[in-house]
Amino acid sequence: MVPLYIICMSRVVVVKYSGNADNKFLDKKQYRRLLETALGKLARDADYKTYIMQRFPKGAVGMKTNCLAAFNPTLSPLIDALSELITKNSKIDNNDLIVWERTNKELKRAGYKLNASSFGRRYLGTDSSGVGYDDSQFYSAGKVDSMVTRILTRMVDHNINLGVLKHHSIAGMSAGMKNMYGAVHNPNKYHGNNCSPFTADINNLEPIKSKHRLTVIDAVRVQYDKGPGFNSKYMGYYNGLVLSENPVAADSVALMILDHLRRENGLPQLAATSQKVKYLEAAEKIGLGTANIKSIDLQVAVVASDGTTSTGDLF
Amino acid sequence: MDRRKFIKCLGCTAAAAAASQTDFLPRALGGLQNAYAFSYTEKLSKVEARFYKKLEEGGIECGLCPRHCRITDLERGYCGVRENRDDVYYTLVYGLPCALNIDPIEKKPLFHFHPGTTAFSLATAGCNVNCKCCQNWDISQSRPEQTKNIDMPPKDVIDICRERKIPTIAYTYSEPVIFYEYMSDIAELGHKHDIKSVMITGGYIEKEPLAELIPRLDAIKVDLKAIRTDYYRDYVDGELQPVLDGLVQMKKAGIWLELVYLVIPTLNDSDAEFKELARWIKTNLGSDVPVHFSRFHPQYLLKNLPMTPEATLQRAHDISKAEGLDFVYLGNLPGHPAESTYCPGCGEILIERRGYRVAPRNLKGNRCGSCDREIPGRF
Repeated sequence: MVPLYIICMSRVVVVKYSGNADNKFLDKKQYRRLLETALGKLARDADYKTYIMQRFPKGAVGMKTNCLAAFNPTLSPLIDALSELITKNSKIDNNDLIVWERTNKELKRAGYKLNASSFGRRYLGTDSSGVGYDDSQFYSAGKVDSMVTRILTRMVDHNINLGVLKHHSIAGMSAGMKNMYGAVHNPNKYHGNNCSPFTADINNLEPIKSKHRLTVIDAVRVQYDKGPGFNSKYMGYYNGLVLSENPVAADSVALMILDHLRRENGLPQLAATSQKVKYLEAAEKIGLGTANIKSIDLQVAVVASDGTTSTGDLF
Repeated sequence: MDRRKFIKCLGCTAAAAAASQTDFLPRALGGLQNAYAFSYTEKLSKVEARFYKKLEEGGIECGLCPRHCRITDLERGYCGVRENRDDVYYTLVYGLPCALNIDPIEKKPLFHFHPGTTAFSLATAGCNVNCKCCQNWDISQSRPEQTKNIDMPPKDVIDICRERKIPTIAYTYSEPVIFYEYMSDIAELGHKHDIKSVMITGGYIEKEPLAELIPRLDAIKVDLKAIRTDYYRDYVDGELQPVLDGLVQMKKAGIWLELVYLVIPTLNDSDAEFKELARWIKTNLGSDVPVHFSRFHPQYLLKNLPMTPEATLQRAHDISKAEGLDFVYLGNLPGHPAESTYCPGCGEILIERRGYRVAPRNLKGNRCGSCDREIPGRF
């Protein structure tokens, strides 16, 4: 029997793909295996199908990509795999899936084809015609006062944060929470003090917090230094995904992975540099989630190329 | 941009405004509403920014304002309009104003700078602070992708001013410091054609860029938001000291300077603050620098506060006069006697104002027609 304190802990699932010795990009099928395994683990006693049905029962689902760095964005096979899982296991139609970003330009630069029509999965930047930022009110949380994209305030019922794990020279790390800078109209105002407490406060804005359902951080290829702009010299390979319903816990585990890759490559831990990731502590303070690894129910699974699954270690 | 279209558009509004001309000055023409006739561009500029250095560890550090943003590849500074691309820093708003207008110079407000004339006023998106009381937040707190921008290189600005005989260009509405390169180039070109330039600013700028800019300008109006550091921290997201240092630098450089102090109920309206402000100005800038106490209207992030009572503004005026400032004005109070200019020597009215209507009364050149006292300014 699972102890109660474990049930109450935030669960983070790390799922790794062991069949990628060449460190290639994963395809849709491989991402799908990882997602099925991870979502099954998040379901605790149920399976991934039940989890999807319960987590995304109906309505429209947003998927916030990270396309800032055109050569290291949220990848299409991951989006395709996740979208298929949702549409096949819930009542949500493909057209009710909205893959979104700050601008159309960023989506296009990352290779996505825009689609605002009523057919097929939608791909929208906040600057798309008829979208924009919700100017009916300023949302406030802590030190943040911002307008939020209408995609979140008006168009979707649930949001999945599809971040990409990478080094960030100001925040220290960009994973899930930093990705939500793309939801507000004035992200440039929030980069002081290693983006803290701003990253926490942005994620605490009502539309962002209330519609957040899942964080999926792509840690297959991880730029461990000189980010967030792409720099192939600092690309490491973890071949895994980090999933959690708790955005703070997901980023806390992602930080361990980033630090691990930095250590492997002879770089100091971020906490020992001027790029210490400060926003996690700030997020924990305002009750957004747990940043303490000891309070996180961390599950690590390994998926082999033949689809078999086993438990594993984080490193 | 198509300059012919623009001039044609202004011509139409000029005709419309002619019917409502005041005694001395046409009403403001143009404005954002007219800009819909312009051809907009979605392109951002890629002109290398000035005043930045590359960092050894990668990234750049901006040296334009006291914020000194450190910016990595593909990120922007706090202002939202300057971006690092492969460790080259670019301004994204060069030649891309999002607000255009022909305003009375009194609207800036500049009361001692060619009164009764007009200024071609322009702004781009972006700002290097975030005042919770900002009246132009929709452009100042936006990134250039979020505003409607017009392609208007410096030469087009000068051509318009020459054809319409507009004597001055005002960089205003948002924060001109963040479109420094554009402003600087227009101002330089303007001087070649006897067109003056004035900067309407919060004064949050570093010493070196300010020193290089001053010779290209003819007047500066600074919004001194408060005389308290905590106010700058809590309501401006900036620092007071660099603004004060900048004011001293401007005064020493000899450029014409006026100040505005927006009086916000409960936030910066105590007697002690008015006294401290007046004393600082008198000691550091001199008693002849005009100071405008302006009425606050609830907006942006300070909608919870009331409009400034007239009595508060009167108090600010009286305290400042008692402390020895010669030219103290009250703004956003049309019809108030403190809109007009009086001789500090004999008290004679020199320029009568009612809103943006301006009537010279007893000013002869730059001297009081009654007692011959020299009146500071550019007349």
